Order: sequence, then C-alpha cells, then structure tokens
Amino acid sequence: MTMNNWFLNNFWIKIISLILAVITWFYVNEELIKEKEMAKQLYKSSVINQIQNPSYDKKPVK
Amino acid sequence: MNDHLLLAKMLIEIGILWFVYYGILIFARGTRGVYVLRGIILITLVFIITKQVGFERINWIFTKIFALSILAFLIIFQQEIRRGLANIGQRRWSRFFLKESEIIKEITTACFLLSKRKIGALIAIERETRLENYIESGIDMDAKVNSELLITIFMPNTPLHDGGIVIAGERIAASGCLFPLTQNLKISATLGTRHRAALGLSEETDAIVIVVSEETGGVSVAIGGRLTHDLDRESLERVLSNLYRPDKKNGK
Repeated sequence: MTMNNWFLNNFWIKIISLILAVITWFYVNEELIKEKEMAKQLYKSSVINQIQNPSYDKKPVK
Repeated sequence: MNDHLLLAKMLIEIGILWFVYYGILIFARGTRGVYVLRGIILITLVFIITKQVGFERINWIFTKIFALSILAFLIIFQQEIRRGLANIGQRRWSRFFLKESEIIKEITTACFLLSKRKIGALIAIERETRLENYIESGIDMDAKVNSELLITIFMPNTPLHDGGIVIAGERIAASGCLFPLTQNLKISATLGTRHRAALGLSEETDAIVIVVSEETGGVSVAIGGRLTHDLDRESLERVLSNLYRPDKKNGK
C-alpha cells in the first residue's frame, strides 16, 4: 500500500483523532502549568509565613 | 536546542495521543459503542470549552457528569473493554502471522462447492470496520475457517443455514447473523434477500461480502455497496487476496 493510500484510508478518523490529541495535549499542558504555579505560590506563602512568624508551623490546629 | 527538544517532546506526546485515539475510534467503529463514544467526546469538548471560556457553574456541572460518566463507561462497556484488551494481547498481533492464502483457499473452495450444488450462502469478511453488531445477532462460533465447516453451515434444513456468517481475522466468528438489507431502490428487482443483505452490509461497513445464489449458483461479491456478479474461482481469489489483509496493507 502506498503512503498516499495509507493517508487517505480512514482519513476522517485520523483527522478527528489528531484534533482530539492536540486538544488533549494543550488542555493537560495548561493544567500542568497551573498546578506548578499553584505549588510555587504555596511554597512562597509558606516561606513568607515562616519568615514572618517562625512559630507558624508549630501552632496546633484547632 | 532546548526549544527543539520541547517541540520534539510535544510532537511525540501528540503522536502517542493520536495513536491511542485512533485505536479507540477504529475499535469502536462498527460496534454499538460508537454512539456512546460520540457522546463522551461531545461532553469532553463542551467541558473543555466551558472551562476555557470561564463558565464556572456549567463547568462544575460538567465536572460532576464527567466523573460519573467515566464510572458509567467502565460499567457499560466492561465487555468491550475486556474484548479490546484481549485483542491487544492476541488478535491484532496474530494478524501479522495470518495465513491469508490458506483462508482464502478454504473460502473459495467452499463457495464453489456450494455454487456447484446450488446451495445459497452469505459470507461476510471483516476488514477495518468491526462487525460486532452483526456477530451479536448470530450464534457465536469462534471456529477455524475451513471449507468443510463452511459447507456444513449452509446445508439446507440445518439450524445455522439461515443468515450469514462473519469471518473475523482467521476465525469464523458467528453464523446465522442478520445483515441489514440495502435501501437502494436502483438495484435490480430480481435480486433476492441474500444479495440485498450482502449489499446492505457492504454499504454500511467495509466488509467483503460473498454471496452464492441459490437459484443460479452464481458467486457474487459485494464491496462498498457494489455487487460484482458471477465471479469465477480465480477472480474471487484475486479479489480476496487484494482486499483481505487490511492490517498488513495499512501497515498497522
């Protein structure tokens, strides 16, 4: 089977799969970036809290 | 350099996702799961779009539906998922080692012996589109393809001779299967139900459907909604050897 035939065979399924793959990749990528940002912010705020209030972590949770 | 690496990673990851989606869509095609799959894809797209646009409440609802639909998907399709995983384990890979020529020989021998004795037969050979719907309408066989068995199945006054058989891969998947009749009004009025069923199935799927006429003993083949009448043994063998190896031809 030639490359051309391979490409044209189930053409629309291939295109739909490609669209879904690209959408999924960008969506997951964005979520990963958000997660990283959130983790950074959490880390920053905990560091600031520790500097401002060294006994912050030792406080018992009510 | 770093940018190139990131781009390569992105392309490879998209390629893997494409392969997975393509496999799922090909697997679902021809089964009842395709409609549900369409629904899931639609819900997923709406979910992503609402998230991007910032419709938080709609997105919240879709998040809940999405979580539930994954559970529902696993329950509804447990049989298909099991079958799919089994296919990965055996059938798809075994197709690389198919002895097509032997199977084609068995099918043609059976067809022309049936033709000689004017015994009607209807044989559908699965290609890319899965014929699960039609297999489910018949009686499960899972038997090796051989001419004696094919002839026996179509012997008149036996329980399995009504309906068609489906050959999937190197096995006779089922017999007594019901195929859809063609809705094409342009076809000859002289064509019987068996020929109409062959045309109907070939219109809806990419299967190769062989018909042996009860009246004339003629062997016909329906592919893509077109019926080729009165083939001789060599022509049938040629048609089958050209078309009956979709996986190899597609390089899968």
